[in-house]
Amino acid sequence: MAAPMELFCWAGGWGLPSVDPDCLAVLTYARFTGAPLKVHRVTSPWRSPSGHLPALRTRDEGIISKPQQIITHLRKQKYNADYDLSATQSADTLAFVSLLEEKLLPVLIHTFWVDAKNYVEHTRKWYAETIPFPLNFFLPNAMHKRHLERLQLIWGDDYMEDEEKLEKELYREARECLTLLSQRLGSQKFFFGDSPASLDALVFSRLAPLLKAKLPNGKLQQHLKSLQNLCNYCTSILSLYFPWDGGEPLTGVPRAAGTDGSEAEEDPHKRRKQLLSVLVGLVAMLGYAFLSGIVSIQRGSVGPAGRQPVTLEEEEEEEEE
Amino acid sequence: MCNLPVRVICRANAEYMSPSGKVPFIHVGNQVVSELGPIVQFVKAKGHSLSDGLDEVQKAEMKAYMELVNNMLLTAELYLQWCDDVTVEEITHPRYGSPYPWPLNRILSYQKQWEVRRKMKAIGWAGKTLEQVLEDVDQCCHALSQRLGTQPYFFNKHPTELDALVFGHLFTILTTQLITDELSEKVKNYSNLTAFCRRIEQQYFEGHDKDSSAIAARSSKRPLLR
Repeated sequence: MAAPMELFCWAGGWGLPSVDPDCLAVLTYARFTGAPLKVHRVTSPWRSPSGHLPALRTRDEGIISKPQQIITHLRKQKYNADYDLSATQSADTLAFVSLLEEKLLPVLIHTFWVDAKNYVEHTRKWYAETIPFPLNFFLPNAMHKRHLERLQLIWGDDYMEDEEKLEKELYREARECLTLLSQRLGSQKFFFGDSPASLDALVFSRLAPLLKAKLPNGKLQQHLKSLQNLCNYCTSILSLYFPWDGGEPLTGVPRAAGTDGSEAEEDPHKRRKQLLSVLVGLVAMLGYAFLSGIVSIQRGSVGPAGRQPVTLEEEEEEEEE
Repeated sequence: MCNLPVRVICRANAEYMSPSGKVPFIHVGNQVVSELGPIVQFVKAKGHSLSDGLDEVQKAEMKAYMELVNNMLLTAELYLQWCDDVTVEEITHPRYGSPYPWPLNRILSYQKQWEVRRKMKAIGWAGKTLEQVLEDVDQCCHALSQRLGTQPYFFNKHPTELDALVFGHLFTILTTQLITDELSEKVKNYSNLTAFCRRIEQQYFEGHDKDSSAIAARSSKRPLLR
């Protein structure tokens, strides 16, 4: 078999294997189907081959970045969690995915990235601590702006300006969506019986961050916590498929990014930082030396300026002679 | 479907009259309510509802399928109208700008096009090709067809909001003349969906006089069946 596929995703936190819903969805789906993936938990999108997370480096189709496309690719490689679903169940999957994406996901983005208290005290703090220097100064803010713009386009300026209206209508619809999911799940283990499907991966990836993160302003979170079957659903998936705490990967065969890997990733990081700072210092000193005339280069020979007049004098003496 | 008396009025500035900027909206007494969701809520508050007989799980499914239609069919319609260059030039610009004199017609339609394209970019549809969009429409119709099966309505004997929504979109797709027939062909592949549209059209639209203005507006389009 050729080299396994590599998945790049955001690092874990808050008790989850990854903090980003899209990355979590792809990871969970891969776990459900047992797809052999080499997972790289990175702390910034610049370390991903495509610049975005999640990203899948495949054997022959280059790099895929959209979560839905990644799942489709896995399906094509015969890692299909929806194989046993009937036609009606597949239709239901499409419908519930649309419900999630339209009603729940935008409000989730708002809760994490736009709501002032949550963003400043929780989301920005986590990302600023995790992303390496110097990206941590501007990347969280850039992500915040991007999400804000996206919500503005989806919801229109009406809602963005009127906090109360937003709170009342959109959060109400999100709470309704959660309740509907809870009713559909009922007392089943997964949405379609006893084995998980792609819908389970998506629902889990949207609900788990909401459940686990310690949000200061958590009205939606409280509503989710009141739906006992959804909470049990999330915790059971976490304990079944991600038995180690968030951030610590498996030591099994298909998972090559072991703890050593993550530590090794940190070490060259530190070394790199040290090297960089020494280099910067050296360049600064040399630059100053050249600019102020202490050191200069003449016709290929390098030496301190002090020797220069001596060489010239010697030459003059020779000429004189 | 609720048997409520309604008068349909067509106005060029309907989008501006609406409180949320979106059509359709209803004007009842001194209240104005826009978009399907709020209108359904409003009508329900007044005591008319089509989905009271459904149990909780069915209500969940109904809401989910309505979102599916909104997510896929509506977005595909918008894409085809505003992001496909050929259609935009030949059909959408003239149609959208028709009530206004030049140059207002061009300015307004370009403005709307820019707005729609920005939204498409935000939801990730800007990178899709026409084939991918048609593929999505096909998937959506397949799901709807599966759910409908051989029943007369989506939730067996009585129509609900979902039936109204699906009818609205499918009827528009089937009867609007575009450059190519690809979109309506996708829907026609599913015979139970076309039968569904025909049935609703016959039952609720053809026998009613008060809807004559609506029928007159539609007479400029092709008939449902060829």
